[in-house]
Amino acid sequence: MLKVTDLQAGYGGSVVLHSLSLQVGEGESVVVLGPNGHGKTTLLRAISGLIRPTSGVVEFDGQVISNQRASDVVAAGLIHIPQGDLPFPELTVMENLLMGAYRPEAWRERKRKLEQVFELFPVLAERPNQLARSLSGGERRMLALGRGLMSKAKLLMIDEPSLGLAPFLIEDVYQTIRNIRKTGLSILLVDENADHIEGLADRVYLLESGTLVKEGSVEVMLQDEALLAAYLG
Amino acid sequence: MEKLFQAIYGGILYGSIYGLMAIGLTLVWGALRMLNLAHGSLYVVGGYVAWTALNEWALPALPSFALGVIAAALVGLLIQVLLINRLLGRPSFFNAAMIATVGAAIVIESAMLLIYGPRVKQMAPVIPGHFKTLGVVIQYQGLVIIVAAAISLVLLSLFLRKSRYGLAIQAVSQQMDAARLMGIPTVLTFTIVMAISAGLAGLAGVLLSSVFYLAPTAGFNPMVKALVVTIFGGLGSVKGTIWAAYVIGLLEAFLQVYFGAGWALPGLFLFMMIMLIIRPTGLFGMGEVQRL
Repeated sequence: MLKVTDLQAGYGGSVVLHSLSLQVGEGESVVVLGPNGHGKTTLLRAISGLIRPTSGVVEFDGQVISNQRASDVVAAGLIHIPQGDLPFPELTVMENLLMGAYRPEAWRERKRKLEQVFELFPVLAERPNQLARSLSGGERRMLALGRGLMSKAKLLMIDEPSLGLAPFLIEDVYQTIRNIRKTGLSILLVDENADHIEGLADRVYLLESGTLVKEGSVEVMLQDEALLAAYLG
Repeated sequence: MEKLFQAIYGGILYGSIYGLMAIGLTLVWGALRMLNLAHGSLYVVGGYVAWTALNEWALPALPSFALGVIAAALVGLLIQVLLINRLLGRPSFFNAAMIATVGAAIVIESAMLLIYGPRVKQMAPVIPGHFKTLGVVIQYQGLVIIVAAAISLVLLSLFLRKSRYGLAIQAVSQQMDAARLMGIPTVLTFTIVMAISAGLAGLAGVLLSSVFYLAPTAGFNPMVKALVVTIFGGLGSVKGTIWAAYVIGLLEAFLQVYFGAGWALPGLFLFMMIMLIIRPTGLFGMGEVQRL
C-alpha cells in the first residue's frame, strides 16, 4: 500500500534521511523505532509532502506521491498525525475536527465521521465547544488522533504518540491506537522505544542515522533485547 | 452633552470605516504574515470604479458599488497571483512581499492618475440629506456607512466561523503545518484571503468617496489608521481588530471633539505607543510567529 524506495530528504543543505526503503501492506501496522534525532519525524514529513524529498520514490496505493503537494497526499488517503499534535489553538474542538474532514470527499460525510470519532474519544464528545488551546495534554493528543480520523484515511502515520504525556495517560493512547487498528486501517507509527508496541505492530523497523538498519516481525524483534538495547538504549 | 453625542456618533462612524479597512489587513497578516501596503490603493480602486459606474455609465448606486468592490477584489487577486504567490517560501518572504506590495501600490496609483487625472472627484451620497437629533447633525450617508460596515463585519465573522473555507482560513492562520496535513490547499486559501481583504478595502473606498475626496493617493490615510487599528487589536486577530476599530474610532472622535482636530493623530499614536509598551501583541494578538 505504501512503498518507499531509496528516499533521501533533509532540511536546507543537510541530509537527514538517505537510501531509506520501507513498505506497509494493506491493513498492516508497522512501527519504526529509532532514537531521537535520527530522522523519524523527517521520514513522516517527507512522505506526507511537508518537505520535498531530494531523491527517491514514495508510492501510495499504486500512484507516485513523492512529487505531490501535501493536500494531494491527504486526498489520496494518507494521513499524518504530527508530532506535538499541532491543534488549531483558537478553534473549538468541533471546528478542529471539522477541519480534519476538509477534503470534499470527507466533508460530505462529516456528520457520520463525527459520530464515529466521538464514540472513540468520549473525552472530545464532552467538550465540543472548548477552544483547543485550553485542552490538557492528553485531550490534545486525542484531538490530534480524532482530527486525523475525520478524513477518509486509508493509512494513518502517527508520530510518537507518547511524547510529552503523563505516564498514566500513555497506555490509554496506545490502547486507542490498537482500537483504531482493529477498524482495518493501515498504520505507520514512529516511536522512540518499544515499550508499548506489543499487540499493535505487525512488523518493526529500526532506524539509525537516517537509514533503516534492521527489520523483522514484532515477535522476533521484541525478543532480541540485546538488539533493542543497542539501538534504543 | 451635545459634545458627548457628537463624539459617540463620530466614533462609531470612524470605527465602521476603520473596521472595514483593518479587517482586510489583519486577515492577510494572519494567513500570510505579510504586511500588504497596497491595501490603500485597493481602497482607491474601489472608489474610482464605483465613481465611473455611477457618473460615466450612469448605473444605479447598488450595482455601481458592487462593481467597485468586485474590481478591488480582482486587483487584490492579481497582486496575489502575479506577485505574492511567486515569493512564497523564499527566505525573507516578509520583506520581499512587503516591498512587492509597495510596488503594486505605486503601479495602481499611477494607473489611476493616468486614467482619471490629478483632479479630485467626489461621489454623490447614496441618500442625500441629514437630520438633527440630540443636537448632533447626522448625515444619512453616515448611517449608510455604519450599517453597511456592520453588516459586512457580521457576514465576514459568520463566513470565518461557519463555512468550510472560512474555517480553513483560520486553520491556515493558526497552524500552517497542521492545515497542510488536513489537505487544505494553502496557496488557494491565501488567494481567497487576499481577494476578500481587497474587496473590503474596495468597499471602504466606495462608501467613503462620498464623504472624502477621491484622489489616487486617497487610500494612504485610511491605510495608516487601519494599521494602527490592527496593531492595537493584535495582528492577525479578527475579534481584536473589530474591537480595536471602534475603540480607536471613538478615541479619535473624543480627541477631536474635546481637544480639537489637531490632537487626533498625535493622540492616537501616543495611545498606540503606550499600548505597545504595556501589551506588545495588542489586545488579542497572536504574536510573532515565523513560519513561511
